[in-house]
Amino acid sequence: MLEYTKKIREIAERLLKEGKVDMVIGFRKGTLPMINEPHFVKRAEDVNELYWDTFCAVNLANYLTDRKERIAIVAKGCDSRNIVNHIIENKVKKDKIVVIGVPCKGMLGRRKIALAAGGSEILEVIDGAKVTIKSKAGVKEVDRKDVTQDNCIICTHRNPVIYDELVAEKVEEQKNVDRYEDVKKIEAMSVQEKNEYFDTLLSTCIRCYACRNACPLCYCPTCFVDESKPQWVGKSIEETDIKTFHFLRAYHCAGRCTDCGSCERVCPMNIKMRVLTKKLEKDCFDQFGWEAGLSLTERPPLDTYKPNDPQDFIK
Amino acid sequence: MGIAKRKAIYVEYAQAVPLKYAIDPKECIYLTKGKCGACKKICPADAINFDEKEKNLTLNVGAVVISPGFSPYDPTKFDNYQYSKLPNVMTAMEYERILSASGPTKGHLVRPSDHKEPKKIAWFQCVGSRDLNKCDNSYCSSVCCMYAIKEAVISKEHAGKGLDCAIFFMDIRTHGKDFEKYYENAKNKHGVRFIRSRVHTITPIPNSDDLEIRYIKEDGELVVEAFDMIVLSVGLATSPETVEFAKTLDIKLTEGKFCETTTFEPVNTSRKGIYVAGAFQGPKDIPQSIIEASAGASAAGEILTPSRNTLTKVKEFIPEINVINDRPRIGVFVCRCGINIASVVDVPGVAEYAKTLPYVEFVTDNLFSCSQDTQNTIASIMKEKNLNRIVVAACTPKTHEPLFQETLSNAGLNKYLFEMANIRNQDSWVHKSTPELATEKAKDLVRMAVVKVALTEPLKEAELAINQTALVIGGGISGMVAAKSLSKQGYVTHILERSDKLGGQALSLFKTGKEENIQNELSKLVDDVKKDKNIQIHLKTDISKVDGFVGNFKTVLSSNGKDEVLEHGVTIMATGAAPIIPEEYQYGKDPRIITNLDLDKKFITNDPMLKTLKTAIFIQCVGSREPNRMYCSRLCCTNSVLNALELKKINPEMNVFILYRDMRTYGEKELLYKKARKEGVIFIRYTLNEKPRVVFEEDELAVIVKDHVLSRPIMIKTDLLSLAPAIVPYADDKLAKFFKVPLNEDGFFVERHAKLGPSEFATDGVFLCGLAHYPKPIDESIAHAKAAASRAVTLLAKKKVYVSGQIAAVQPANCSSCGVCISICAFSAPSFVEKGPFTGKAEINPVLCKGCGLCVSSCRSGAIRLKGFDNDQIFSQIFAIK
Amino acid sequence: MSDWQPKIVAFLCNWCSYGAADLAGVSRMDYPPNIRVIRIPCSARMSPKFMLASLRQGIDGVWVSG
Repeated sequence: MLEYTKKIREIAERLLKEGKVDMVIGFRKGTLPMINEPHFVKRAEDVNELYWDTFCAVNLANYLTDRKERIAIVAKGCDSRNIVNHIIENKVKKDKIVVIGVPCKGMLGRRKIALAAGGSEILEVIDGAKVTIKSKAGVKEVDRKDVTQDNCIICTHRNPVIYDELVAEKVEEQKNVDRYEDVKKIEAMSVQEKNEYFDTLLSTCIRCYACRNACPLCYCPTCFVDESKPQWVGKSIEETDIKTFHFLRAYHCAGRCTDCGSCERVCPMNIKMRVLTKKLEKDCFDQFGWEAGLSLTERPPLDTYKPNDPQDFIK
Repeated sequence: MGIAKRKAIYVEYAQAVPLKYAIDPKECIYLTKGKCGACKKICPADAINFDEKEKNLTLNVGAVVISPGFSPYDPTKFDNYQYSKLPNVMTAMEYERILSASGPTKGHLVRPSDHKEPKKIAWFQCVGSRDLNKCDNSYCSSVCCMYAIKEAVISKEHAGKGLDCAIFFMDIRTHGKDFEKYYENAKNKHGVRFIRSRVHTITPIPNSDDLEIRYIKEDGELVVEAFDMIVLSVGLATSPETVEFAKTLDIKLTEGKFCETTTFEPVNTSRKGIYVAGAFQGPKDIPQSIIEASAGASAAGEILTPSRNTLTKVKEFIPEINVINDRPRIGVFVCRCGINIASVVDVPGVAEYAKTLPYVEFVTDNLFSCSQDTQNTIASIMKEKNLNRIVVAACTPKTHEPLFQETLSNAGLNKYLFEMANIRNQDSWVHKSTPELATEKAKDLVRMAVVKVALTEPLKEAELAINQTALVIGGGISGMVAAKSLSKQGYVTHILERSDKLGGQALSLFKTGKEENIQNELSKLVDDVKKDKNIQIHLKTDISKVDGFVGNFKTVLSSNGKDEVLEHGVTIMATGAAPIIPEEYQYGKDPRIITNLDLDKKFITNDPMLKTLKTAIFIQCVGSREPNRMYCSRLCCTNSVLNALELKKINPEMNVFILYRDMRTYGEKELLYKKARKEGVIFIRYTLNEKPRVVFEEDELAVIVKDHVLSRPIMIKTDLLSLAPAIVPYADDKLAKFFKVPLNEDGFFVERHAKLGPSEFATDGVFLCGLAHYPKPIDESIAHAKAAASRAVTLLAKKKVYVSGQIAAVQPANCSSCGVCISICAFSAPSFVEKGPFTGKAEINPVLCKGCGLCVSSCRSGAIRLKGFDNDQIFSQIFAIK
Repeated sequence: MSDWQPKIVAFLCNWCSYGAADLAGVSRMDYPPNIRVIRIPCSARMSPKFMLASLRQGIDGVWVSG
């Protein structure tokens, strides 16, 4: 990881010095373990503030929308796919950004680590073949996959899909991954079981909208939940309003979501709402052979009409 | 059709226009016996008039277009099919009624004899077509293969997997656009069985209603098979009445009793000023009929140009009252529709209820809201009560909205301040057995209409001036004919041609099936176009940019590095298509292996080598009807037959072979096929799996093909091998993007509607003709060109158009510039704002918007509203449901 | 259960299904009066929000046809 940090700083310094960009968006080391903050560097002399380790899960593409500057941005596989999506959706111009690609082996999940440490205060986490967790309760070694973020475990695009600079050699992509094991389970349920499943899944939502705010896809000037004329959805935490919010948010992500995991990561109630976006991701893949953020020329399937679009849903 | 009983008072069929009852004079007791007359007594609208008689009208007209259509061939004469005796032997038209939701079985697939759901159905093709034995119709009816396949597929979709469908045929003729793919799907996806055999006899199986047939399979095996039903794919024939009619008009008929026309004037009858369209011109399907209908209109328009708009009246203009910021004052008119509504729904109850609804100021009920005097009453009440929103609870807006809207306009109210509650078609007529619930529903529907209309705003209809100049892209026959037609109808037209010469593919064609010399006709056409003062020709010219939209295009024409901007109101795409260069059958390796067009050129130049030929072979479907090009090139079968006949003319002793997959000499072109067989041309069928092979035996050229009769390979040595290559379009993606029109996967342009809109695009102001739409012979190209011109003229002649006010509009503050609306709109209405405070946000061109609402519901940011069907209006309707 | 009647809202495309519903009337087909039709200019106008709003309103079934 040190090499990554070094290389990121090197590239950032060069780009800023050469005047190729006005700003670099990356991470700075947080004051607490396992938390790194998004960081904007505008001067070459500040590049040493930039930092990289396996707790850089925040999707930086979220900070790109509607900016006027020329920006260099540090991007993992998922981030880069969101940047592609941003380009297609006119959020950024391709010629105004420099993508500093970061091949990624999966980000670690701080909740999983906290759980592994039995709730004891974490002092330090050292990533390696095994993950070493130092907490007030002592030192513990766990398998990396046991503390990796859920979305990273099934990630099949770890390398950036577009980049101008690369901080390291590309990593090997994971193959033979079943991305939709959980979705298939739900699909196989009866209507009643599904109902119960979603009731439970969303029952704890407090409608803080953290999931929406962390999502790079949610950039509308006025979100449908905030609109009052017409009022698309009620403002309460009554169950139908909560469901309406989550289902519609998922629909808005159909064909666009890169499964970067931001929504789940930021949820204070630990709601696993990725099953909703993944279901739509699966449908887009099954029906249109589409994966979001891989093409700079094609728009997502729900944005386009083709005469040979599948119509099997019409009964 | 006699499949089910009909009363003496009836509606012709469910989609009839006008949808009105008629009295059958043969069955009416009053008309036949002078008794009864009950209908007259009971009709509240007093609409019955027994004295109405046939009248002769004399009209003074400058041109006539006739489209008397066809009658389905009556198979009674086929005694060995026992059509009139066996109830489960029916014609395809009768079967069509069985499949129809408004048919005698309400779309439930059962056989007539015992209402059993059939498990096995057979179709017999060519009943009354391609047959001199049982009837005199030696032509092909063109449409039966496709309709039989369609019926088989729909039957399978209706009945599910348990149904077996078998089609007995001679050649499958799916030569229309996208038909070959449909045929392939029918075979491979739906499992329809296709059996190449002509069945002789249908035998009833004793003690059952089932039917037995015997037929010989292709390998010679005799099969006996039973079916539950047999559908006779009857051909298209001209009725004796039409023959009589033709005599009255003094127009000539062909051998097959169709209207005689020429290749270069395909909609002109033999009598000047009389034009023909549809199946009377020759057996054909819907798109081709629609094309000819437009072409006929164009031909008539060409000679009537001087008198256009000489018999029109100008409508009185009534200024509109401003109601913006006024509190809604809603008037509700509940219609009894005689007894149509009132006999089921408690109309006074509904009216009483309407009075309790918010903003409702006035309610009344009418006997017939649509009658002229009621319209006048409504208009005066509107003024008197100062109403600014109107609800009519009556029949359906589909038929009556325009009428009531006109009443609003006449009273000075914006016509969009109106809503209908459909309490007849969707209430009283369908809930007769539950009048109370029907009344409840009527109240709900009235309430929903009232809350919606309260939120309705006056809408503006954008005005659009149409530039009176036309641009035709492509200088082939289609382009030239379209330009000539436009010019004759008074419009300045520019022809754009990328090459240095007018004429296109026709420059290398020899003769038509009607023995017309194509080069002579073509040079006449080119001369006409060159001399025409209204037509400007741009050779070696390309398009480098297109701005604007319907009525106001600005196109940059580039020629020799020079740019010229042309402003025009309409565009016709006539970009054509060309044969592929074959990549098989050793083409290019030996001068004796040529294409059909090469052979045509040899005929044109009278090449002396033609006289030396002793043997000639034609191979069909070179590149067509194959997995990567799954369409039929339509014109090659006829072309090869013509060329074969021409070779036989040069040397009757010549051995001429045509190797084919299905002969597709549709319509009266079948007569040429028949003639070729008579002249001794030998036809050998091959399959895609066993294509012919070309070999060289020392210096000699030979083709090895498996003979379909002998079922073994034979070698034919030949002096000439002529290939029929597939016709492919230019698929100019750039041009398609310029005019925002789509291409299909084969590269042909996609028309507005496959059946009903073959000569125009979904994008307004852009029209389509010729080979760029699909391969077609000259006569069809010319009809298509005239049709495109006709469609263009309907727009040009208006000079100004008003578009609907019910369209989408962007609220820029909410727009996130994601571009979904721009990507998804089929009509190219949305675009990004280029100047001003909202730069980068989307906006919608009201002229191009069709008001479908796709962008509205696709907009994640909720920035687009659909006027007239706005979000809060639809929500208010949802919330008004109790 | 036997007395229970579902409430169904039908969003029908003006050009096809709405016309078909009219045609059902012309053909005098009898069907249960549980349906309330909302005419939309095209099934493209349909938004998932309308479906969810309908269900939230207490409607038992949403039918979209176009």
